[in-house]
Amino acid sequence: MIEQPHHLPPRLGLLSATAADPFLTEDLLRGIQGHGGVDLAKVVEPLPEEDPRWRAEPLRELIDDVLHQFKENRTEADAWLAPRLHAALRLTRREAADRRIWNHLALGVAPDYVAWRHASAPSSGSADSRVAAARFKGSPDRQCFSRLWWAAELFRNGRDYAPVVVACSNQDLIHTVMRSDLVDHRPTAQALVRVLQSGIATTGREINGLMAAINTAGATLVYDAMAADEWRDPEDLRRWIEEAETAPPVPRHELPTGPEEEPVPEKSVETLTKYFADLFETAPVRGRAPQG
Amino acid sequence: MKFYPYKRLNRPVGLRVTSVSLRLPDRTRDHLDTSAFSTPQRTVALGVAQHEDWLSARIGLSATLPPGATDPDAPWSDLRVLAVLTDGDTNVRTTVELRQDAPESKEWSGAIEVRRDDHVGRADLAVHAVATVDGVRGRAITETDTDWTIDTTAEEPLGGLRLDVKQTSFTKSAREWLRPYADAPWVVDASGRLPVVMVNTDVEGFSDLLGGETGGMENRVHELLLSQMATDVWTAVFHSAVGDLEVEPDGSPVFPSDWRGEVLREMLPDVVPGLRAEDALRQVHRRRTGDAGWAELQTRVHFAAVRRAGARQSLANVLRALQQTNREDRS
Repeated sequence: MIEQPHHLPPRLGLLSATAADPFLTEDLLRGIQGHGGVDLAKVVEPLPEEDPRWRAEPLRELIDDVLHQFKENRTEADAWLAPRLHAALRLTRREAADRRIWNHLALGVAPDYVAWRHASAPSSGSADSRVAAARFKGSPDRQCFSRLWWAAELFRNGRDYAPVVVACSNQDLIHTVMRSDLVDHRPTAQALVRVLQSGIATTGREINGLMAAINTAGATLVYDAMAADEWRDPEDLRRWIEEAETAPPVPRHELPTGPEEEPVPEKSVETLTKYFADLFETAPVRGRAPQG
Repeated sequence: MKFYPYKRLNRPVGLRVTSVSLRLPDRTRDHLDTSAFSTPQRTVALGVAQHEDWLSARIGLSATLPPGATDPDAPWSDLRVLAVLTDGDTNVRTTVELRQDAPESKEWSGAIEVRRDDHVGRADLAVHAVATVDGVRGRAITETDTDWTIDTTAEEPLGGLRLDVKQTSFTKSAREWLRPYADAPWVVDASGRLPVVMVNTDVEGFSDLLGGETGGMENRVHELLLSQMATDVWTAVFHSAVGDLEVEPDGSPVFPSDWRGEVLREMLPDVVPGLRAEDALRQVHRRRTGDAGWAELQTRVHFAAVRRAGARQSLANVLRALQQTNREDRS
């Protein structure tokens, strides 16, 4: 396994995928040899000095803690890290859509974490284990840190991160769901978490079946009409981001608190949860006997 | 052709933008004039007033339903009209319900709020007419056939591919990754959110030529170079888009939700003519990942790029200008 870079950047910056490419060597991807950090720092574009959000140290400490706590079970790290990363790195969606931040976090601040979390299973012979380059600089639903941040953003219910933990505890859910734009509708995201929590659909096959059924029905239905969402005031989020300057480190034992945004209307979540559960009853799921 | 197991309207909803205003951090509103939106381009440009830090924009909408929607004997009830704003870059979905202007009117209106912090570049705006049909709530009975584009940064309401042009010295730039390319007059980076052309100012006189509005021959050469760069950009973004496709479990590729998707939809009709966009994408993906036909496709990719870049026209203009100067020299 590779170590953290000898030279850790003090601040997050912007690292374009093209500039990052020469550092994604075969040795790095195979977990043999990391990079020193000095040369990488030269190709990073700085973010504004005065903004306290770009300090890298709190993020690195979070990574150290998660590495320690989940040494034996790396897939469980997602549910722990997603809400904490989201609360520690307070971004607007507009900022989070800039992949260069995520490239720098992965390659500059925590390449050892990316390699540890996403190395292909060691059972296939440790010499052959390899990390996909997309975990360092890929699409938002593949890249190691952006997938967690976006999962937290899409599944949090206003300030409440508890649904994020449920969603990220199920690899099939975040894998399948994050690629679809269904969860862009907040009530749909919350209803999916409820269905998962209720134990109606839990295995990968069941979740794929459920998602296929929701997608098929969604081709003729407009879920927004069945389950309305609240207007989120942009100033609530801006206030939370400004508070980053004085916020203490994110709690390690309790869940952090997100921005004080309007939660999803409970009635909308209930309506859709019931609707999805009914859909799932009749959905064809591989390996399940057809229901009468 | 999509199949609907219930009665629908077979004509689309018409959608117009009627007003645009920005909410500023001091809580005042700036009402933008009509140059902020274009009906033929179906685009709203929120950067037109050059406010750096607006909070949200309110876009006034007016939707016209096709005939039959509000007939008393229509096979549906609880008719509602929703405007939906979506953004593939930021996973945002904002919905607002429009109100009927008068009982039984086909005109519905309202306003949708666009949060600045929720968008990077462009978002898509559509209108859906929804009703209870055969006892099922929330069914879509018709919608707009082309989305409006809400561009949160553009200063002019123009459609088409956006690209960033940056001028820098490749040998002295803080972007150290450019140094190995010191011999190139420009390079294209299609890996980011928007394609970027980096122009090498180490080539003497190059940036004067590109920046100048001197007229005559210089202008024509300037145009030709721009169209050359645009050809390179279109080619690079096409390859970057098809090289990074998500694949469904059944193996069929998915259109990317960002500008890569726009690029593919625009270029595919020239790359694989005569096929629906989804089928064309499948064929391109198969040729790239399978064992045959990728090399043969390159001519068509190049053709699609050259067409979009207006290469023929800019070449013709240079040739005409050359002829003219030659004639003047001789006389």
